[in-house]
Amino acid sequence: MSGPIPFSKRRYFPAILGLGSCAGAVLLVELLVYVELLNRFIIPPPSDVVAAFPRVILEEHVLSRFMLTAGEALAASVLVTIFGVAGGVLLYQFNLLRLATETWVAAIAAAPLVLMYPLYLVIFGRNATTIVMMGFTAGLAPIILKTLEGLAGTRRVLINVGRSFNLTPSQQFWKILFPAALPTIFVGMRLGLIFALINIVGVEYLINFGGLGQLINELAERFDIAGTYAAICFVIVVSIIVFMLTERLERWLRPAG
Amino acid sequence: MAETGRLTAPARARRWVQAHPVTTLRIVIIVAVLLVWEGLARSGWLYRDVVPSWVAIGRALVVTLSDATFYWHLYTTFYEIGWAMVIGGVSGLAVGILLGGSKLMQRAYEPLLYYLGPCPKIIFFPVMIMWFGVGPGSKIAMGAISCFFPVALNVAGGMREIDKVLIRVGRSFRANTWQMVTKVYMPAMRHPIINGVRLGLGVCLIGTLLAETKLSNAGVGFLVIQSYTLFNMPHMYSLLIVLFVIAIGANALIGKLGGLDQIRRS
Amino acid sequence: MSAVAMPSERDAVPGAAEPILVVDRIVKRFDTPDGTLTAVDDVSLSIKPGEFFGVIGPSGCGKSTLFNVIGGLLDGYDGAVRVGGETVRGPHPAIGMIFQEESTFPWRSVIDNVAFPLEIAGMPKAERYARAGHFVSLVGLNGFERRFPAELSGGMRQRVSMARTLAAEPKIMLMDEPFASLDEQTRLLLGDKVLQIQQELKQTTLLITHNITEAVQLSDRIMVMTYRPGKVKRIVDIDLPRPRTSEIVSSEAFGRYVAQIWNDLREEATRGLLDDESRKLRAGGPS
Repeated sequence: MSGPIPFSKRRYFPAILGLGSCAGAVLLVELLVYVELLNRFIIPPPSDVVAAFPRVILEEHVLSRFMLTAGEALAASVLVTIFGVAGGVLLYQFNLLRLATETWVAAIAAAPLVLMYPLYLVIFGRNATTIVMMGFTAGLAPIILKTLEGLAGTRRVLINVGRSFNLTPSQQFWKILFPAALPTIFVGMRLGLIFALINIVGVEYLINFGGLGQLINELAERFDIAGTYAAICFVIVVSIIVFMLTERLERWLRPAG
Repeated sequence: MAETGRLTAPARARRWVQAHPVTTLRIVIIVAVLLVWEGLARSGWLYRDVVPSWVAIGRALVVTLSDATFYWHLYTTFYEIGWAMVIGGVSGLAVGILLGGSKLMQRAYEPLLYYLGPCPKIIFFPVMIMWFGVGPGSKIAMGAISCFFPVALNVAGGMREIDKVLIRVGRSFRANTWQMVTKVYMPAMRHPIINGVRLGLGVCLIGTLLAETKLSNAGVGFLVIQSYTLFNMPHMYSLLIVLFVIAIGANALIGKLGGLDQIRRS
Repeated sequence: MSAVAMPSERDAVPGAAEPILVVDRIVKRFDTPDGTLTAVDDVSLSIKPGEFFGVIGPSGCGKSTLFNVIGGLLDGYDGAVRVGGETVRGPHPAIGMIFQEESTFPWRSVIDNVAFPLEIAGMPKAERYARAGHFVSLVGLNGFERRFPAELSGGMRQRVSMARTLAAEPKIMLMDEPFASLDEQTRLLLGDKVLQIQQELKQTTLLITHNITEAVQLSDRIMVMTYRPGKVKRIVDIDLPRPRTSEIVSSEAFGRYVAQIWNDLREEATRGLLDDESRKLRAGGPS
């Protein structure tokens, strides 16, 4: 259905321009380092960073680190989903509770909860539990709010349809409310996963423990400058891939319409 | 929980409870949390001071708030956040307008921002230390990077969502460029801009304070990590309470100022 | 009703003076993925001061393109638009536009919306509010000055847009299907309002519409346009007495005009419908 050939050329032009100017910027940095306008001990030449990739990947156990971070993120997002969805349903079912606490939950969602990580260090120790709990804490409030939003946003007419068929309260919930709210809940789950991942990598870096976050910290403390840049690029690529995957997953799970 | 029927309370109290069920429930929840907390603190089941008594936290809060050096650290943090918001906000606004104003720019560069936006920003901190040193400079950079993304993405989205007919109205009355910006574009984009600033401030606070906890000798983030090193838990709680009150308060204030809670004028 | 003196050029008598708006052989083409589309093809018309001129045609006949060309919001066309002998390049101060879409500024109250063009022109505050207040009452919105558009009905919002355009005191007012998004009763009542304002101000008006009743009820002359490319099919003089109200709809002469224009229009509308259906068929089903 797309137009004649000249148009398909135009379609890829923006993407080429975007990636092309990134590549151009990298080349410019390389050039500036080469002519010593930039200090190579502050900004290493991009070619060094590229050369550091195999070293970082082979010598720093990147795969096991990645699995650790991924495992932590998975655990945190499972916890977030279970407690968050349950919390949202609870607030929806008990209107009084919702009236009393919805603003509190919204306030918690806006608070910089990740700053509690020293507290969690004391409570749970310097281990994976602290990291998972931090991810869980940061992701909980948003998914409660999203679940509530989805349930409360169910169209009046759908609820009335259910009532006209004399559904029991439990049928009303499972056959009408929950399916209607599911798309919004998926959005919340994706948010929860992303929040968990951001906070997990961040805390790994801050407390120098575990997976990919710690890798950056270690390389930086060893003054392996090219290695640090390479590790940062690696983490960015991983988060972008995860982000894209969750996007795909959400689109795939969401019913059409 | 809010039922008071079986209590032998006076009729007046019962009527008040019936008239204010939400407030009653809130009070009940708060009291319950405080009681459980205090019970835990006194039970001795947890490590010493992991859950300090409310009395100890309250006392630490008073000590913190009446300490002049705390305000110096608070000033340092505010100073960093202020500059971070200015730098990140202005560059975010500029980039957002650029992306929102041109279809080509949007399609070329917005995906980059969109996918970089949710990356954990704190991992840039070692690089920021190399570039801007261990002082406030690297913290400002962290805050600015954090707040840049939500501002830019919100402004770009807001600009695209301006009702096109309003632009035609402005042009039909021959508004000049400056008038178009101040009287049409800016007011039409006020909600996305303010929302971007609100989200930006939230992540800016996190970016700046986390950087302070990692490596610094001043700022509230430094105080938090210092209280951890000294294992002064009541002090850490008092600092976290102050930070959360500031963050939640600022968030609510921006929301209120921007009329985000008002649908009437939307 | 009006206490504020109106500028004298509005008192011109229809039929006596030089045409105030001349549209001279306009051709406007658009480039689309399917090739070049001629939206407006060789359209000429001229409007005398105080005249109410209707343009009617089926959807897709280029009415809105013509509206945007005359209003100076579109360029890159052949031909010329002249106001009082002066060629239009970009929005002209003598032309006011009322858009089809809901176009009030949601962040401005009624009075601030109406004062907008005066503010743009740099009029002092006290003066512009006095003048805006006059036009608010002219469209019958007294008491709503401090309300915001979100608090008003669709018909009231369209009256705010009308007052806003009138406040700039244009020599010619262009209206692009201003009642398209309103229900039938509101449409008739608002038509009455336009007639009343028209008679009060002797406002030269060009109305673009696809509604025959509306066109005949309001206009002195009606131009019927063809479907794709939009050409002039016929210009009809509407010889109905003035002042008019919506009651005229039931008169016999009115019915004759409607029948005559419908006859012209039916052919074009049918052609448009068939074209539309075949395009959807080619696109693989209705969109």
